[in-house]
Amino acid sequence: MTQAALAMSITATDPVDTATDARLKECIDSACQRVAPLWPLKHFVAVNPFLGFTGQSFAATAATFERVVRTRILMPRAFYRQALDDGRIDDAALARALDIHPSVGLGVEQLKQQARATAAPSSPPAVVATVAEVLDRLAEGDRYVSLVAFMIDEISAFCAGYFDEGQASWPSPVRSLKPYAAWRRLAAYDRNPEVMGLTGFRNAIAELPADPVQAIGLIITRLGIPERAVEDYLVRALFDIGGWSAYARYIGWSAERDGQRDDTLVELLAIRLAWGYALFQARTDAAFKIAWAQAMEEAAKLPDDQRLDDTPELAVDLVLHEAYEIAIRNQLIARLAGHGTGAAVARLPARPPVQAAFCIDVRSEIFRRALETAYPEAETIGFAGFFGFPIEYVPIGHTRGGAQCPVLLKPAFIVCEAVKDADDVEQAEVLGLRLLRRRAAKAWKSFKVSAVSSFSFVETAGLGFAAKIATDSAGVTRPVPSPVVDGLDPEIAARVMPRLAPGELGGRVTGFNDVQRVAMAEAALKAMSLTGPFARLVLLAGHGSTTVNNPHASGLDCGACGGHTGEANARVAAAVLNDPRVRDGLRAKGIDIPADCWFLGALHDTTTDAVTVFDEDDVPAALAQDLARLKARLADAARLARLERSALLGIPDKSAVDAAVIARSRDWSQVRPEWGLAGNCAFIAAPRSFTRGLDLGGRAFLHSYEAERDDGHRTLELIMTAPMVVANWINLQYFGSTVNNAAFGSGNKVLHNIVGQLGVLEGNAGDLRVGLPWQSVHDGTRLVHEPVRLNVFIAAPESAMDEIMQRQPGVRDLVVNGWVMLHSLGDHGTTIRRCVSPGVWIAA
Amino acid sequence: MNQFLPCLAALAPFTLAVAALAGTGGSARTVARNAIAAAALAFALAAVASLGAAVVGAGRTPLLGGNGLGLSLQLDALGAILITLVSFIGFVVVRYSRNYLDGDPGQVRFTRWLLLTLAAVLMLPISGNLVLLFAAWVATSLALGKLLLFYDTRPAAIRASRKKFVASRLGDAFLAVAALLLYVQFGTLEIGSLAAQARSGAGTGSALVTVAALLIVATAMLKSAQLPLHGWLIEVMETPTPVSALLHAGIINAGGFLVLRLSDVLLLATPALDVLAVVGGATALFGSLVMLTQTSVKVQLAYSTVAQMGFMLLQCGLGAFSAALLHIVAHSLYKAHAFLSSGSIIDLARASWTPSPGGQPHAARLILALAGVIALALLTGLAFGMTLRSNPAQIALGSVLLMGLVHLMANAIDERPNAFVIVRAAVTAAGVAIAYFALQTAMAWLVGGSIPASRPVDGVVPMLIAAAVVVSFAAVTVFQNQMMRRADAPFWIAAYVHLRNGLYLNTLANRLVLTLWPRSATSR
Repeated sequence: MTQAALAMSITATDPVDTATDARLKECIDSACQRVAPLWPLKHFVAVNPFLGFTGQSFAATAATFERVVRTRILMPRAFYRQALDDGRIDDAALARALDIHPSVGLGVEQLKQQARATAAPSSPPAVVATVAEVLDRLAEGDRYVSLVAFMIDEISAFCAGYFDEGQASWPSPVRSLKPYAAWRRLAAYDRNPEVMGLTGFRNAIAELPADPVQAIGLIITRLGIPERAVEDYLVRALFDIGGWSAYARYIGWSAERDGQRDDTLVELLAIRLAWGYALFQARTDAAFKIAWAQAMEEAAKLPDDQRLDDTPELAVDLVLHEAYEIAIRNQLIARLAGHGTGAAVARLPARPPVQAAFCIDVRSEIFRRALETAYPEAETIGFAGFFGFPIEYVPIGHTRGGAQCPVLLKPAFIVCEAVKDADDVEQAEVLGLRLLRRRAAKAWKSFKVSAVSSFSFVETAGLGFAAKIATDSAGVTRPVPSPVVDGLDPEIAARVMPRLAPGELGGRVTGFNDVQRVAMAEAALKAMSLTGPFARLVLLAGHGSTTVNNPHASGLDCGACGGHTGEANARVAAAVLNDPRVRDGLRAKGIDIPADCWFLGALHDTTTDAVTVFDEDDVPAALAQDLARLKARLADAARLARLERSALLGIPDKSAVDAAVIARSRDWSQVRPEWGLAGNCAFIAAPRSFTRGLDLGGRAFLHSYEAERDDGHRTLELIMTAPMVVANWINLQYFGSTVNNAAFGSGNKVLHNIVGQLGVLEGNAGDLRVGLPWQSVHDGTRLVHEPVRLNVFIAAPESAMDEIMQRQPGVRDLVVNGWVMLHSLGDHGTTIRRCVSPGVWIAA
Repeated sequence: MNQFLPCLAALAPFTLAVAALAGTGGSARTVARNAIAAAALAFALAAVASLGAAVVGAGRTPLLGGNGLGLSLQLDALGAILITLVSFIGFVVVRYSRNYLDGDPGQVRFTRWLLLTLAAVLMLPISGNLVLLFAAWVATSLALGKLLLFYDTRPAAIRASRKKFVASRLGDAFLAVAALLLYVQFGTLEIGSLAAQARSGAGTGSALVTVAALLIVATAMLKSAQLPLHGWLIEVMETPTPVSALLHAGIINAGGFLVLRLSDVLLLATPALDVLAVVGGATALFGSLVMLTQTSVKVQLAYSTVAQMGFMLLQCGLGAFSAALLHIVAHSLYKAHAFLSSGSIIDLARASWTPSPGGQPHAARLILALAGVIALALLTGLAFGMTLRSNPAQIALGSVLLMGLVHLMANAIDERPNAFVIVRAAVTAAGVAIAYFALQTAMAWLVGGSIPASRPVDGVVPMLIAAAVVVSFAAVTVFQNQMMRRADAPFWIAAYVHLRNGLYLNTLANRLVLTLWPRSATSR
């Protein structure tokens, strides 16, 4: 019988009318919306793991996760108990937390008693149990006996082959099919499940409809899932393979960004359900049948809303968590409000010698403070590190590049990498040589990894690795060349720069024309609140990290540049702003950049704190002295910043800090080359005078914003819809990876096993891992990141923020549902009020 | 014979053991620092002793014990090469672990077991008596077991370690029985005396020796993860990367070392060598084909190790002992680096995410390349007067090299043949060939005194094996070339699925473990 005929016969026996069909599609759609995307490691960016839940409150989400997904999104009870014992949570904080959650119905003393009691281990029954869960229960939690672990390994192996970006020399032969069809194609030959004891697996799969949605519908009918539990069942199934689900969602996300439709995640859901169905079919024993019937009965019985309330232990933990955050927030607010303004500002000259703009990234806070110490006359600015230039940057020899802008945006321009001062002949030579070297490298790699030649490779080239091991160990060489300069001569690599001039690459327009340049320049300057007076030198410093042998390296680069370094964006922005025709255009729009002002593109290395200034040759001779002074001050600031960071990095010898920090950036065995954005807890959009001189410990995103200069609060709206959301994503990524690393983090870095050149497994198999490694939030003895939701402080009229929240439901959800704590900064930052909901602001 | 150098060499494991057992107090950082110092000292001692042995010749200590049983040390070329190799990799791995494991609550425990494992491994090559060698053999496996179960709550780690436990204890039993049989036959377990007696022809044709030889070969195959009990090796990524590096570079090749160490005895029973060649050759092809389909870097490396160990044992079986030793050393260095740098895959991927820098493969490339290589092989064979009957090992191993070169050349000939690329590939191929022969010659010269140069060519079996090697490796070369072309035909899809699952051997092993040794110590 053909597959189509099979599908038809099944449709005939299990009629699916159109209304149920529509309802099913709705369930599938909304289940898929719950999954947050996972970016591949080539350009790994932070994602809010609760992205699909921001429409409900934090507390409700905690309950949903516990009841539906069986996953915790809070710290263990013992953590809060310790905080109570250490006095980090005081009674006042407990009382305020209880005010926020009155339904808990406890007093402070009762709450403390509860906190000291060990939480009852009984987690509430699931809203709906999956086949996997019932099997697990029967196997007393042993996922090897229940074969649930086997199922996850098998789905993961399929996905790895299907989505592989080039690891396997023999790629999966079914990649041209859609995932569900591809999986069924392979499953027809695959004896692995049957060898493991799942009799009839191939038949069970072959009998399913060829259409994924129909298959899902059929399986739900056959399993007898009650209608009210269908969506929960699907959510649960997706979170069982949460890593690959997240990657599938990323593929859908990218397609949507490009205006296309993609249902990879639905296909994956069908695969996961089919697996559960096969497990279900293979178990004919009475024990299972009874357990399953019971589970379905229970799932049908209880209405969902009633079940979400009934979690007393979780409620206690929620209040304790709230109190924990309140205690931390109170300290932060006290410091912010108590910080005297004026003193720091008074010292600044009307036209500072230097304005230095850095990314809003929390790591910039340390460096900006260091630079202000080393160079007190300098003014520093905070802005998203792509400096308003959303570009796709195409390296030499590539046809497509990475999107160097926040992932919420789509690159508006394509910029190609080029060699500075090279004519067409030289450009072509450099390109040709890089391509030839790639081909030679590819042939050599093929010699290395092919079935027969790998033996000859080892015998002839193996001994050479003795020297390579020695030099890599010593940090003299990198295990593999840096992708940025690979295949380029060092002299050429030093001359590489973005080319702005309009051009064409593979039929796509690259570069910017004059009109575009002026428009971009105006938008960027206004968004930065930088419309004059301009200093003689304006430094635009993007940032990147320097690490070796680190799968998550791109996660330490600039999130605002889509997981790339900010070099290209900073250089493009500086070049555009130095363009005389752009300056003419800006003058016509009322922004007058004086002739003796020069923009410098630069890169702040967050691992070593070195700042590299690009295109120095182009700086007018009259500014040579200014540049020399700036570079000296940057070097001083780098030393100060490294010294400050050395405590957290655990470098005991204060005289050898510089060498130790730099050694970390070259160490192939280093699992904590830097702390990234660990510790982030605040986002402040205000004039720098509000915070200058205040030590925020590298824990605050600082966005420069001057409400007086903001016409119609358009910049404010931009800040609240873009940088604030990105900061929220980063904050919740750290939050998730801290509170439950097993579910929202990528586990232990020493076990990481890169799969498909796109993600990591922990160990030899299992699901794809999301989020951050445990080593990125914990130093071995304590948590370096405190799991605190982002505290946003904005120096703008509350009414303006209210209006924006009314216009932007996404922003409103974040604030009202407690995913960020929005505060207004009034009276130069001395009056701080918290937004409960649009129009309701209370003293913080 | 001097006694000083073996004793000096023995100071290396001694230093490591002392550091492991003494370093209980102090912070993890202090323990790690001391461990690095001990590993550096051990490397220095091993290197100096080995250099000494190269200058003044092999050394041996008298037997501490009686009746040919007891403790004695020896340092010959084989031992010197291996302790230098292992202590070097050990030093690198211990140093790597300091920062890699920083902050892990078990770092002290990890470091101490790492040192003990290294000490046990270093005792193997300098053991002069089978009693000591056996003790070191078992100690290596037990100490390594502690490292493989470093995270002892991980169910997959437990499962893999159970499989390894079974394979290891089976190997231990085989080795013990083999030693007993050898003792009955030769009246001593002094390795030097065993070799000398075997070389003089004692025990030829003895059933005891044949059985002992088969057991030794089986022990080696179990240690080096050969078919069908290879499964544990591909599942031990459940432990920190440096353990994988040490295991794949320093421990997995102990099987090959055992064969080389007892090669004189094995030459008395060539059927054992034939078995080794067949299983090794089959494992080599199996491992390298499965490797092609794997998508995670560490599992891919593990299958590569399975294959490389198979090839090394094939070399042993064919009597190319010095070539096998070269393979052990070269593979160790390559694989240690590959594991330690396995986090760099993303860098490589970022550098080359343009899908294909060249064109599609040229349709006739394989034919072109094959024709060239066959002509070359014929000419070379004629020039040296070699035939499959007289020189099976050279022909077989030479063919494998040539097929590797075919692959290298074939890859350079694509749709847009480019003189630069082809010339460059030809130069590379020539360089590879020169390096190959130079290294083989050098290694044969180095170990001339300590391991036999070849095996006797007795009967048609070696010839058949050599012919099978040539045919099967050629078939795989063609297979690999073809699969890219018609990958979506049912036959190739089936081949892909079966190979991706490692022909289901490991699944079967897992199911047996689940049935026969159920209940994880900790459930999740």
